[in-house]
Amino acid sequence: MLTVKKISKAFGPTRALIDVDMEIRRGEIRGLIGENGSGKSTLASIIAGAQFADSGSFELKGKPYAPRNMVGAQNHGVSMIIQEMGTIPGITVAANIFTGRLEEFTRFGFINMKAINRRAAELLQEIGAGDIHPETLINRLNFEERKIVEIARAMVANPDLLIVDETTTALAQRGRELLYRLIRRLHEENKSVLFISHDLHELMSICDTITVLRDGIVIDTLEKEEISVDRMRSLMVGRELSGSYFRSDYDGSYSDEVVLEAKRVTSGILEEFNLELHKGEILGVGGLSDCGMHELGRVLFGIDKPITGSVTLKKNNVQVKDPHVATKNNMAYVSKERDREAIILNASIKENVVLPSHRQLRKVLGLITRRSETNLTNKQIETLRIKCRNGKQICNELSGGNKQKVVFAKWLGKESDILILDCPTRGIDVGVKAAMYKLMTELKAQGKSIVMISEELPELIGMSDRILLLKNGRLQAELRRSPDISEKQIIQYII
Amino acid sequence: MRATAETIDIQEILNRKARRKDLLRNIIPFSGLVFIFVFFTVVTQGKMLSSSNLTNLISQCFSVTIVAAGASFVYAHGGMDFSIGPSCGVAQLVAALIITRSDLPIWLAIAACILVTVVTSTMVGATSAYLRVPVFVVSLCMRAICSGILTVGIAESDIAIDYARFSGFNSEVLKAVVLLVVIGVSYYLFEYTSLGKYEKAMGGNVVTAFQAGVVVKRTQIAAYTLMGLCVGIAGFFQLTRTAGVTGGSGSGLEFDIMVAIVLGGFPMMGGSAARLRSVIIGALTITILSNGLVLWGLDYLLVNGVKGLLFLIIVAITYDRTNQNQMNFTSA
Ligand SMILES: Nc1ncnc2c1ncn2[C@@H]1O[C@H](COP(=O)(O)OP(=O)(O)OP(=O)(O)O)[C@@H](O)[C@H]1O
Ligand SMILES: [Mg+2]
Repeated sequence: MLTVKKISKAFGPTRALIDVDMEIRRGEIRGLIGENGSGKSTLASIIAGAQFADSGSFELKGKPYAPRNMVGAQNHGVSMIIQEMGTIPGITVAANIFTGRLEEFTRFGFINMKAINRRAAELLQEIGAGDIHPETLINRLNFEERKIVEIARAMVANPDLLIVDETTTALAQRGRELLYRLIRRLHEENKSVLFISHDLHELMSICDTITVLRDGIVIDTLEKEEISVDRMRSLMVGRELSGSYFRSDYDGSYSDEVVLEAKRVTSGILEEFNLELHKGEILGVGGLSDCGMHELGRVLFGIDKPITGSVTLKKNNVQVKDPHVATKNNMAYVSKERDREAIILNASIKENVVLPSHRQLRKVLGLITRRSETNLTNKQIETLRIKCRNGKQICNELSGGNKQKVVFAKWLGKESDILILDCPTRGIDVGVKAAMYKLMTELKAQGKSIVMISEELPELIGMSDRILLLKNGRLQAELRRSPDISEKQIIQYII
Repeated sequence: MRATAETIDIQEILNRKARRKDLLRNIIPFSGLVFIFVFFTVVTQGKMLSSSNLTNLISQCFSVTIVAAGASFVYAHGGMDFSIGPSCGVAQLVAALIITRSDLPIWLAIAACILVTVVTSTMVGATSAYLRVPVFVVSLCMRAICSGILTVGIAESDIAIDYARFSGFNSEVLKAVVLLVVIGVSYYLFEYTSLGKYEKAMGGNVVTAFQAGVVVKRTQIAAYTLMGLCVGIAGFFQLTRTAGVTGGSGSGLEFDIMVAIVLGGFPMMGGSAARLRSVIIGALTITILSNGLVLWGLDYLLVNGVKGLLFLIIVAITYDRTNQNQMNFTSA
């Protein structure tokens, strides 16, 4: 289907791809893996026409192929679902799906909105998301639904090659199944898929072949029978990884001391919600993406003001009424909407990491020295292995996973006591994920408390002392840490 | 990575290219300043450097630079203020009235002058923060109010003050000292304290700043207050130099500031790329430009037109359009 020949790409002094060769066969589901910043998204976006290579060429279905832009690539049969949020705010679902192709619906200068809406509805129905209405404003949809709209957009031109860049971690249960179904269908129609993910188990079950990138170089390509989780891990990282991934203990104990309490909180879909977080506890919160768990994180940190009820820090009996109060009392919050809320894309890594820590760095006359900022940043870059030139690099230039690390780093640097983490490991590679879990376990041991809101069931089961399962804004079940909890069991509660 | 000779060579070339680009970006505003200075010195056959013009140049630089230093805090978080010209006029009016109609000491006149602009600017910032009205709208309203007050104040006649009595304020030494202090303090606040860093963070992404614990409204208002302070200082010196208040007092200040901002390479929408040094360079450039154009023989009344044109050209070239939606199509 597609032959990639000696593709190279550099961003300033960073060489993202070096002489990449690859061949994707018809009907093949190809996995593409590699550590954060290894060049996966760069390769994918060049194939899909969003960027240009410095050198090298493609052949598609035997003919030379050089897309000028994403719509051009789509017309050649290549579509991509991008890693970041790619919907355009302020317009409808249908308009989003047909961005760049409106002229197909234009007669005498008028756009036939009816036809667009009809086509969009059909398309959504086809991929199994018939409940998303084409005339809805995109801003009204939640994170997962917006991603599904992007999936629909990728399917507009009936692609022969679909590129899925790190999409599953942005999706919860329903979205994932929808995507898997779609991939299977393409496979049956003898079309190809290039699938990028950090979830090795998912890759195992979906892909026929897996290509491994490291620092922009193709390290190896594994055929179906060679694929194993361990093999993938060591090829990605370049050395053997050992030890357990999640916590190894099943001692789900924590102190009796309550540090944070939510009482009868009503906000958004949440209704009269109660929660107690203890010292030294990792509290998992799970559910479907619209169950209210993301709202819960926001309310706990004082971003949204609850309509009724209150959130209180028990130690000083302080009400968390806004993020200023929260940060002052050593709380931290990682938002799920990374690019919109959690990171300043146009600022450097240093500026982002330092932002919540000013209070600690301030000296006489409010002085914050360059050196103290640099020290703090460099320490975090090292701990989380952020792949960058140095702390002065602008976050926009980082790979998806490395942006996420910056967000985590800024709260880690502040040494917070209560961490509210909404999907903290989204898009992060296995090596660093393991390091993050280890860090969380250490924080617990130091008596810090963590609320971990997550759509990844293995993560919830593997890390939490206690799991709260939400459904339609209410508590559905509470599970204690035990080796017997299974994903099936959890799904039953939340669906 | 394979450390073959070839890959090392390529890496070396890329590094060199990146360094050159960095250097270029840093010196362009500087070289613009130097170029304009040399250009006008040559075309005016050295009149630019005559001692009387240099004195002129210093006092013109003085007000624009001081106000620009304060305005950098506002522009850093993505704000703006169209009212500073007229409010500077009102401040001068109040000071002139105190001087001519009462026996109150001079320092009170100075204090009143500064207080007026501090209050008007703070009100612009606070109104927009608390009532959630775009600052663009609020500052236009404030501009209209101040213009009105100024017109009424000089309705009977322009107000003149005794030039000789205030000649001390026209000494270049005093001005140089005040200028250096203002720039020094602003530089410190802007580059080395939370205030400046928070303003830049807000310009980059307000939501992120808010979630990191920045008190967004307070920080926004502080920037306006600081700018008001600078406008007041500049206003009083302007009053003593022109020795009176007319309908044109302070006018054009907001526009000079905006041109200074873009000329120096300060991002119009604020954010992390904002540097105080850019504003200062921009302020110097715009003053030398206006001064040079007049010396060269351009009608004084046309100078504003030329500035407007220049502003448009520079904005068109440098405006950062990446914040808009087309960005979202390319993955990172
Ligand atoms: N616009 C850019 N400017 C500068 N450098 C960039 C740019 N885009 C990507 N890079 C660099 O290219 C390298 C590869 O990035 P890429 O986004 O392809 O990684 P990735 O494999 O997709 O990682 P992740 O798993 O985190 O998504 C990284 O080192 C990144 O910093
Ligand atoms: Mg990526």
